[in-house]
Amino acid sequence: MSNNNTLDKLVGASMLVVASAVFLYYTIWTLLLPFVDPTHPVQSLFPPRVWAIRIPVILLLLGGAVVGSFLSVVMIRSNRKKAIKARQKEAGKKRS
Amino acid sequence: MTRAQQTLSIGLLLSSIYMVAFLGLAPLPEKLQTDVIPVLPFWAIVTFGAYLLAKLGYGVLTFNDVPQAHQELVKQIEQARVELKKKGVEVN
Repeated sequence: MSNNNTLDKLVGASMLVVASAVFLYYTIWTLLLPFVDPTHPVQSLFPPRVWAIRIPVILLLLGGAVVGSFLSVVMIRSNRKKAIKARQKEAGKKRS
Repeated sequence: MTRAQQTLSIGLLLSSIYMVAFLGLAPLPEKLQTDVIPVLPFWAIVTFGAYLLAKLGYGVLTFNDVPQAHQELVKQIEQARVELKKKGVEVN
């Protein structure tokens, strides 16, 4: 059980670190870079700013597609089960 | 005032302020207008996502096991299972 504990703490800490890193990077990219001289070496650490819009949009669309497909698969599966049960009930009634 | 009303009014307020800035109805320095204002909604979404992830991570990090409560809970589940079985209900 102690093993699980350290693994959990590691996962939690890494989530925290990733979240902070993403936040800092994106904030600097979108809000601070416009005010920096275009010839400053810092600009080389960041891709052109068009990507600051494209990447979140692509991720949002991908996320929406994944959630939507998962939802539809679950609903189709449950409807199929319901239809099978209804058919079984009909067959049972006819038999008796 | 309900929570929904509160959230809705704050949302409307922020959206109207942003609309004023976005449509150029309020004079702003040019660099701000062309480079920063259009990006703000995306920044807000990314910041929100990062905040949620950080909150989750922090919760996972500071979560403490309670072995005593765990034992108690397992015992209670067994009791409930036995009682229900007497009344004819099967629980896994």
